[in-house]
Amino acid sequence: MRVLSYSPRAWVSVMTLAGALFLWFAATSLSGWINPVVFPTPSETWASFVQIATTGYADGRLDQHIVQSIKLVMLGFGSAAIIGMPLGLWMGRSRYAEAFFNPVFTLIRPIPPLAWIPLAIVWLGLGDAAKVMVIWMAAVVPVVINSFAGVRSIQPQLIEAAEMLGVQRGRFVREVMIPGALPMIFTGLRLSLQSAWTTLVAGELIGAVRGLGHVLTQGSLDIFPSMILVAMLAVAFCGWLMTWALGWLERRAMPWRTAS
Amino acid sequence: MGIGLVGKASDAVEDCLVKSVDLVGRKTVPAHTNANRPRAAVLDNYPYVRRSLAYWSLSIAGLSAFFGIWWLAAATGLAPPQFLPTPLAVAEKFVQLLHQPFAGYTLQEHLWSSLQRYLMGFGLAVALGVPLGLLMGWFRWLDYVVAPLFEILRFIAPIAWVPFAALWFGTGIGGPVLIIFAGAFSPCVVNAYRGAKFVDAYLVEAARMLGASNRMIVLEVLLPAAMPSIMAGLRVSAGLGWMSLVGAELIVASSGIGYMMVQAQSSINTAIVMSSMIAIGAVGGAIDLLLRKIETLAMRNRRRAK
Amino acid sequence: MSNIVFENVSRIFQRSGSDLLTLDGISLEIHDEEFVAIVGPSGCGKTTCLRMAAGLEFPSSGSVSVAGRQVKRPGPDRAVVFQQFALFPWKTVWENIDFGLRSKGLSSEERRAIIERYVQLMNLTGCESAFPHQLSGGMQQRVAIARAYALDPGVLLMDEPFGALDAQTRVVMQEELVRLARVSPRTVLFITHAVEESVYLADRVVIMTTRPGRVKEIIDVKTVREAHHWDQYTKIEDVMDLESFVHLRTHIWKSLREEHAGRDH
Repeated sequence: MRVLSYSPRAWVSVMTLAGALFLWFAATSLSGWINPVVFPTPSETWASFVQIATTGYADGRLDQHIVQSIKLVMLGFGSAAIIGMPLGLWMGRSRYAEAFFNPVFTLIRPIPPLAWIPLAIVWLGLGDAAKVMVIWMAAVVPVVINSFAGVRSIQPQLIEAAEMLGVQRGRFVREVMIPGALPMIFTGLRLSLQSAWTTLVAGELIGAVRGLGHVLTQGSLDIFPSMILVAMLAVAFCGWLMTWALGWLERRAMPWRTAS
Repeated sequence: MGIGLVGKASDAVEDCLVKSVDLVGRKTVPAHTNANRPRAAVLDNYPYVRRSLAYWSLSIAGLSAFFGIWWLAAATGLAPPQFLPTPLAVAEKFVQLLHQPFAGYTLQEHLWSSLQRYLMGFGLAVALGVPLGLLMGWFRWLDYVVAPLFEILRFIAPIAWVPFAALWFGTGIGGPVLIIFAGAFSPCVVNAYRGAKFVDAYLVEAARMLGASNRMIVLEVLLPAAMPSIMAGLRVSAGLGWMSLVGAELIVASSGIGYMMVQAQSSINTAIVMSSMIAIGAVGGAIDLLLRKIETLAMRNRRRAK
Repeated sequence: MSNIVFENVSRIFQRSGSDLLTLDGISLEIHDEEFVAIVGPSGCGKTTCLRMAAGLEFPSSGSVSVAGRQVKRPGPDRAVVFQQFALFPWKTVWENIDFGLRSKGLSSEERRAIIERYVQLMNLTGCESAFPHQLSGGMQQRVAIARAYALDPGVLLMDEPFGALDAQTRVVMQEELVRLARVSPRTVLFITHAVEESVYLADRVVIMTTRPGRVKEIIDVKTVREAHHWDQYTKIEDVMDLESFVHLRTHIWKSLREEHAGRDH
């Protein structure tokens, strides 16, 4: 049978999830052991999901909220990556650039991205601009640091070989430095995306008119646990989706790693 | 055939050897004399130039540029003083907060309040997360069972737990602790898991061959082998936990450094906001430094594998 | 005329506290199209000599010149084959060999012809689209050697190129290198630990002392080789069986032993 061709691991996963689902059902609806005010039942959660997906909740349908949140993340993350990668690469290549920019980074780095939120609100108000700024601050640090480390992680012998082969600066950067640093650059992008997403959710929790964080806030105010759960799962799903997309990009960008 | 020919061959070779240039006939003398030492070397290891004067002066230049631009923007009124106080003003405010309370307490009191929550949440995460990760690494069935649930939970941004935290704990201490736990838990588990799972099989085989009991293997082979990974996980976990704390206090707290920041933000007291940021950064950095030191201490007898 | 000249070269390695003299007054000339091997105990500075000829390191005093010009920086006229291959992991075999050629201003047909020639010569046909990590150590080193030869360099600098290979692959590579050297002769500086390897491959063998490294002895292998017609044997084991070979090898071994013994005091 086809079913048996799946690995035991997949089987156990399916069964665990089914088991957890059943436990959830049993603990809430069946026995009433957990008060539905504290934690929603599976049926309530499903109902809320349907509600927000079709008629909407907190001024928007689920897809609208998701698009809004992801839009802001992409804006902040994208601009941070575009600025951060060249800067990090430059710092890696040039000891002088490193000398100049490193102290400032060392100062800024310990400040957690979420700590920028109040300042951003003071400067830019409660709108989207403040959120993008904080996301940018959150995203730029890992990108720069990892791009920098990526250049430094290239085996010295490879650089010597490149010099021996007589390559000029332009080709060196394109064909040796960037591919060599790429693995760590992607590590930085991954960390950066994680940080950006967390920051976005936090920002929306504090003040927003749309987006998943806003749904969470509204659900909290309305004391609507099932909707809160739906929003949390949506946050998890989007986080997973973006991570997966980045992983896909990573595999495409570094074909030599996956070839076997 | 035989000795005659062989003898002839070696003679011929000897002749060649005698003709070879023999530049150093004397025995090797290991020591070098200072008298003949040439002048200083040009570069030790091209292309890595030592930290030179140029390096340090550029660093200072970078810092100066940063503070300079800040000060200029603030002092010339490019940005209104409400929104951008000068660096000096921020420093003054910082010192002021140390003995003058704001939003109920002084800076240290707020920090202490935050640290208490942090340590509780972080401690809980380590106490539960590291053993869980280790067990998942050692017992495959546990891994299979727990992993799918864990993966789902892992992707929920810690801050998303805030509504439930508010629902369950109100403004009590449980709320922030839950969120810190949510942030610090995953790295502990993941890193302990990796450390446990990817132990060099040879080590365990060698231990078995040497007749070690299971308890000895766990305590003296597996646990030490997982240590580097666990310690790395602790550092990541500490950082994430601290960040989660700040986030939590921005929303559901009545004291603490995050709360102080929010209060300052609503009264547009930018200097206090910045002072809190500095305090948060300083404490977060100190925690990281402390953990690094502990890590180095714990690993001091190991050589990093190249 | 690509010769390598070391003129009273010394190298001091600066450490915190004391300075370390690693090379002491090396004077050596490697003639045009001559294959010279340097053997010596670990840490005697033989790799440093090669790197100075390559332009990757510089002497504290004295000078290193190639083809009459002082060495100031690395370049494709002095191709290096590294012990750890140093192939770009993100490039295929073809692209790795092509890399150096692209700086030479050749047309793409010319480059293709050169790459195909060396792929064939180094028994790499069929592997052109493979990435280095997909190949064995021996194959990777073949690519590195092809890359170096493709540059048509005046000087070939090989830093223990077979050191990372297993013993059997090593022997095969030695045979191939000899074949290549006879087909395409050029000035070669070859660093190795293995005495048999040096005697088999080189025209002259330079024996270095333990640190601080000095030239202890130079053995003329070529004369013996030609006198005893080693080249008539294609298999390396046949050559290594010869009385003349064994004699040279033993002599060099004894010389090196003195260095090891001197060091242990």
